[in-house]
This record gives sequence, C-alpha cells and structure tokens, in this order.
Amino acid sequence: MSTLKPNKVLRKKVTRRRVLIGLGTTAGVLVVGVPLALNAGRPALVKYVEENGTGPQDAPLDPDLWFEITPAGITFYVPKMEMGQGIHTALAQIAAEELEVKPEQLTVRQADTARGYAGGTMFTFGSNSVSALYTPLREAAATLRELLREEAARQLGVPAKNLTAAGGQFFIAGRRDTLTYAKVVEAKQGGGTLPDKPARLKARKDFKRIGKAMPRVDFRDKVMGLSTYGYDARVDGMLYGAVARPPRYGATLAAASAGAAAQHSGVSKVVIDLKANFVGVVADSRTRARDAVKKLELRWEGGTTVNQAEIEAQVRAGAGVVVRRRGNVGAALEQGTRIEAEYSTPLAAHAHLEPLAALVSVAPGAKGKIEVWTATQYPKSVMDDLHDALGKDREILLHPTQLGGGFGRKAGQTAAVEAARLSKATGKPVHVGWTREEDLQQAFFRPPSHHILRGSVSEDGRILGVEQFSASGDIIWPASMPEFVKDTIGFDPGGILGLFMPYSIPAYHVTNRREALPVPTGFWRGLGVFPNTFAAESFADELAHAAKMDPLEFRLKNLPDTDDGQRLRAVLEQAAQRAGWATPPPQGRARGVACGLDVNTASAMIAEVSLENGQIRVHRMSVAADPGLVINPQGAKMQAEGSVVMGLSSTLHEVLTVKDGMIGSANFDTYPLLTLRETPQIDVDLVESGDVPYGMGEPVIGPVGAAVANAVFALTGKRLRDLPLRL
Amino acid sequence: MQIQVNGKTQQVRREDELLLWVLRDELGLTGTHYGCGIGLCGSCTVLVDGQVTRSCLTPVAQVAGKAVTTLEGLAKTGPGGAVTLHPVQQAFVENPLQCAWCLPGHVMSAVALLEANSSPTSEQIEASAGINLCRCGGYNNVRKAVARAAELKRGGL
Repeated sequence: MSTLKPNKVLRKKVTRRRVLIGLGTTAGVLVVGVPLALNAGRPALVKYVEENGTGPQDAPLDPDLWFEITPAGITFYVPKMEMGQGIHTALAQIAAEELEVKPEQLTVRQADTARGYAGGTMFTFGSNSVSALYTPLREAAATLRELLREEAARQLGVPAKNLTAAGGQFFIAGRRDTLTYAKVVEAKQGGGTLPDKPARLKARKDFKRIGKAMPRVDFRDKVMGLSTYGYDARVDGMLYGAVARPPRYGATLAAASAGAAAQHSGVSKVVIDLKANFVGVVADSRTRARDAVKKLELRWEGGTTVNQAEIEAQVRAGAGVVVRRRGNVGAALEQGTRIEAEYSTPLAAHAHLEPLAALVSVAPGAKGKIEVWTATQYPKSVMDDLHDALGKDREILLHPTQLGGGFGRKAGQTAAVEAARLSKATGKPVHVGWTREEDLQQAFFRPPSHHILRGSVSEDGRILGVEQFSASGDIIWPASMPEFVKDTIGFDPGGILGLFMPYSIPAYHVTNRREALPVPTGFWRGLGVFPNTFAAESFADELAHAAKMDPLEFRLKNLPDTDDGQRLRAVLEQAAQRAGWATPPPQGRARGVACGLDVNTASAMIAEVSLENGQIRVHRMSVAADPGLVINPQGAKMQAEGSVVMGLSSTLHEVLTVKDGMIGSANFDTYPLLTLRETPQIDVDLVESGDVPYGMGEPVIGPVGAAVANAVFALTGKRLRDLPLRL
Repeated sequence: MQIQVNGKTQQVRREDELLLWVLRDELGLTGTHYGCGIGLCGSCTVLVDGQVTRSCLTPVAQVAGKAVTTLEGLAKTGPGGAVTLHPVQQAFVENPLQCAWCLPGHVMSAVALLEANSSPTSEQIEASAGINLCRCGGYNNVRKAVARAAELKRGGL
C-alpha cells in the first residue's frame, strides 16, 4: 500500500503472469485467483505523503480474490469485509455475471490472511469496494469461464464455439445434454494454460445479474443467529480479558499493582506492562474480568484536562492553507448582494452497535504465531499493530469476521492488541470485548468543524464570488506522523472532502486549517463530507434566498455545464420530482433541498419537515443518487437509506461534549441515536450515468444536514447554523 | 441451576451471571448480542415465556424454570434436515437490515407482537419495534418486515 499513488486505480490487466492457477494440482479442484494492485483508498494518502517518492510495484503473487471450483460447487473468496454494506452480495453478483452462474451457485467466503493478501484490497473503507473491484473481478471471472469452456470442449471433442455457458453449465450446439462446470473440473487432468489476454467481457446489454435486485447472500445466516462477528468468536479453552482505561485522554500509568484483583474469583492473571501503558485482567468470564479491573490499584498521570469551550475555541475558521484560489474574490464580494454566515458541527461518535472485540491466540515463544479473529475494516492495520506490540518476527493469521457496523471506527482494532497481550501472558486464547462505555469513550471521534462563508450573488441569481474559511480536527493524519509534517502541510486531506461548492463561481477562495485536538479524532463515515456539505449547502441556500430565488432553481442555474454539473442537475431534478417540489407541501410543512458530490457519486435530497411540540420532525426524505452504474439496486438503496438515517441522527441529536479531558457521554442514554419512530419515509431513486460503478457507502450522508436545516428555514424563517439543529 | 433454552434443558454453571453472558459465553448461543448493557439498544433481546426481555439486564437466576427463546430457536428443522424459517425470519430475509447486530431486538419483538396480535396496525408495529435501535438505518425495512411477517403468518407459513 505504501507504494501506491493516491486517487488512482493502478489495476493491471489480468495476464498470464498475473493470474494464479492451480489447474489439476489437486484432483478435481480448480483454483483461479487474481492479485490486484489497487489504491488502498483514502488512507493511502497518508502513507503516500509519509513515504513520498516511491512508485507502483508489482503486487505480490498472493491472490486478493479467488475462486475454487470442485464437484461440490464454486466457492468465491473475497477480500472485502462485510459490515452491513452488502458487499459480499454485490461482488457475488458481479462474479456470477461473467462466470455465467446463478448467484446462489456461488458460496461467498471471506478471505483470511493465510491465502489472501492483507495489504492489497483487503480493506473496507472509502466507498471503494465495488468501484475498485468491478473490472478486475469481471476479468478474473470471465477468464475462468473461458478456461472451463476450453477444457469442456476438449473433453467433449467439440469446438469451443459450440459451447454456450449459462447457469453453471455448458449447452452443446446440436445436442440435448449439458456439461456442468463441476463435471468439467472433475474430469480435468493435468495442468492448464492461461490465455495471454483476459477473456472478453460481456456487453452491458447482455447483463443478466448486474443491475437487478439481489437478496443478501448472508442474511439467512444472520436471521438464524449463525453469523460470526468479532464479539462472537470462540475457540476451545478461551478465557476473557478486560483492560484498565485512562480517566483522561493521553493519561499514562505512573504505577500499577494488582491489588485485590488478583484474588478476585475466576481471575487467572493480572498483566501489568507500564511501558506499554497497559494493565489487563484475564478471567474465566467477562463479568469477572471486568469486576476485577475495578479492583486494580492504578495511578494515572498526565493527559489532557481540556474542556468543551477550549475545543471550540481551537477549532475556529480563519487562518490556514489556501486549498482553492480562483478569481478576485475581494472584488467579487464588492458586487451584488453580499451575505456572510458561520456554521459549526460537533464532535460525534460512530456508535456502531457491535463494540470493538477480538479473540487472539498467541503461541508460546518469542516468535510464536498469532491467530486472530476480529471485526476489522483493515486487517493489515491490525497486523501492523500486533507486530509493533508483540514483535516483528511473528507470523500472524487473521480471520476477518462479520462486522456489527464500522463507519470508519473499525479501520483498526485495538481490542486485538489487548487480547494478544493477555494471550501471550497466559498462554491461552483470550477474547476481549469492549463495553459500550469503553467503546464510546475510548474511541476516536468525528472531529468538530467550524466554517465562515462570505458570498455575493447578482440580481439575476448568479453566484459572483465566495470566500470560505474552515477548520477541522484531524481526520486522516495519524498520531504516528510527525507533527511538523502535518503542520507544514497545514490541512488534512480528509477535512477537505465535501468542502468545495459544486457551483460555477467565478471568484472562489477556500482556506482550510487542521487542528490537532487533545481529544482523539479520525475517520467517520465520509470523513469531511457530512460536516463540510452541511456548511456549503446551507450557505448555497442562504445565497438563493439572498437572490430571492427558489433554492432548487438557484442550484440548477448555478451548476456548471460540466459532466459533474449535469449529473448533479439530474439528481436534483429527480429528487424534486419525487418530493413534489413544484407543488406546495402539506399544511404546516416545508421543504429544503441540498446536493453533493463524493467519490464521483452525485446525490441530492429534499427534506420535508414540520414542528411537533417545538421539535423538528422530518416526514419525508426524497433522495436521488447517481453512482454511475448500479450493481444491486436493493443494496444501493439500503446504503442510501442508511446514510440518510445516520445523517438525520447527527442532524437532530448527536453531540459529544468534553469535560476534564474525557467525553461526557458513555452510553446511549446520553448519546441518543435516531429511533424508528423518528425515521421518516425515505424514497431513493437511482440514476445511472455511466458504465462503471462509483461508491455508495458514504456520499449520500453529505447533504442530509443541510437539506433539513434548509427546510427548517423555509418553515420558520429561522436559519439554524449549528449541528445538531436546535430551535 | 437449569434453564430452558429453545426447548432444551441447559445446565448453568454461573448462577450469579446475567442471562446474556450465560447464553453467549457459557452456552455458545452468540446470536443474542451485546450492544449497550443498559437495555436501550435491544441487541440482547430474547423471549422469556413469550415476553420481550433484555437479557443484558436479566440475572439468569430470574429465568430458572422459564422458557427462553433466542434467535437460534425460531427456525424449525424438518425430518430430512430441511430448515423452515419462522415467518418473522423469512420477512427479514426479504427486507434485510444491514450489519444486523441489532437483529435480535427487531426479530424477537416482532415474534412477540405477532403471537399476541396477528394483524397489527402500523401504530402497533411502531410501538413494538420502536424500542430497538438500528445504527445502520434499516428502520424502514423493519417496518416492512414486521408487516410482511404478519402477512406470512396469516398465510400459514
């Protein structure tokens, strides 16, 4: 990953050298895998900047994804972790299309790191999975299909062109019998040859699977309680661990002793490692381990005592790095009607419902192998942490489990390192599952942001100029990166996502600043997209009102005549049509519109709101999204709906405040999430503008806050500029 | 101490433990999840004598002699090993959630609702399902799934 350039797919064609094949190596088994050199998504930016200068290298010859065909069926191993986004289903659908099998004929399995390549595509973030794997996966599946066809032709003694693949078998021209893929593999003898070029891909008009709704491949197991998440991992002889937590961020252990914890019933070991700032307990049950932790004698020192007001004072827009400079903004702001506004968004939590958890077994000896079962979005990062903590020479086998939500928080998995330390000390497999309180407090958070925007519009409703200042806590920059490097760069690449207004603005000047906060901050669904789009699209609305124009018409008028501008127009018009924008809303309600572009996906939405007992009530969200090409409409719509619900939760409820160096909320009683009763009707229309898919995991969350705030303004005349919205 | 789980008698070693951890860690029934430990999210929901119960707040001693049903106990296995899903499970396969960590709350609440009322109104569905959280935002599919489950149940599935 360190060798890859950011924002660029470095995929190479599947060639003879690059397709792994084990034809006939085991009787009756055909394995075809493909190693991919791919951009690892947004965090690649970090590594790239840290280790700038290296160019792309050939990917190692471990497959990222592969197929195993046996007489019993086809198993498809995928490098992407399932955290609810439906990725295993979408990948199965893409593979089934080119392989000419029914999706249900594929058994989808999560690749582990024994045969998969943990550094390449084995990660789940950046809304990247479908967009990055779409073409290489099709090439791999099509090549496999053609290999089977050649072999079938040889076995039947007919020309390959006489065979038609469908439903996992070959139909033979002029004959009534068929030959299944399983039979082909069963009868296969000896090695095989790969074509020099990948097989030809199907034309879009011939698609039978892609673009059709497909049920989730994993949901039957889930409704039966059979899926294994990180919290569910079990092996014989396992024990349970719990770990002492600092009372303030950055506090270190000055002294620690087991105290009464050692005598607590069921406790087998108290592990104290002051150098690692670690004290943990191993016991025969979770409850006993957790109770024993309370009996440890610990002295914490240092750390931050920061309070909310100081955080807010630190994250103030103003000075910073100019990230866009176009035209003479000073002169532009002297013309037309000029307005100025300030916006803010707060610290917020991921609040995935499965807290962090890992089961780890460390074999004896300084170089003993480490085996890990954990819910992670990025196995490589967990493995790096384990190597740092327990020694570089250890072999690691990591089994990614299903994730009970992630939203960026599970990009690593610190529970795995804790379980590993405890397993090493006891010689037993140890499971560490965090409590909700640990999960909410010992976390990193969506950083707060602050925005100042000045802009002017002409009498005929054209944006003349915008001057935009913003500040955000760090998102992408890791703690390990030297502060001077971060300061020299001056902005955080995650903090500028969603920042730029998509309109045609002759004079546009944008200044952004990163702030290293004493409270841990980092990846949260869409990174800067939600906070920044709230500010940008609220301000677009204010400009529309300053121009005395309908906010939808204003946006349509000011979008550029570029591809992106046209795509935004299309989703705005679709959402408007769905919402009935042209007709008045029901009595007592009003509508607000917002749009945005992220990872190439254009989205727009219209919120319809009222006030109930003085509270904002959202009745309808009409959403249109254009992710280029849609693989599974059912999955894509669920991703959009999920983004809307999570965005509404942030818009209406979610805020963390800091007191004496720790966030104040510890559970859902003081960090309420949007409930079912508060969830509006959500209509999602998908618009397709291309032949390749972009991402659907994050983009749609961007415009949610602004759409609601804009609707509240239309209803009440009151402009709410701080999240969560409070009347 | 013994408890009845999904129709089977189970010996419990740790009588001072919460039902949730007995189910998960002692009996290996990990389909019931931990989410908040304070009864708010619903991920730990089971039925105790048919009543919706937060297992994260329930001492196991309280369920001695009572019938506990978990997600794993809903489907029926026929003579040939064929598995028939409960109508609520079938309805959620048709209207899936996303990560599904919250699923026990939504499924068990719906099972209890439909046992008491085979034709719930949308307001009754809101009241029953509304006590459970879903961070991935599948609430509208919960609404659809419960309504669909009622339909399936009335249809005799």
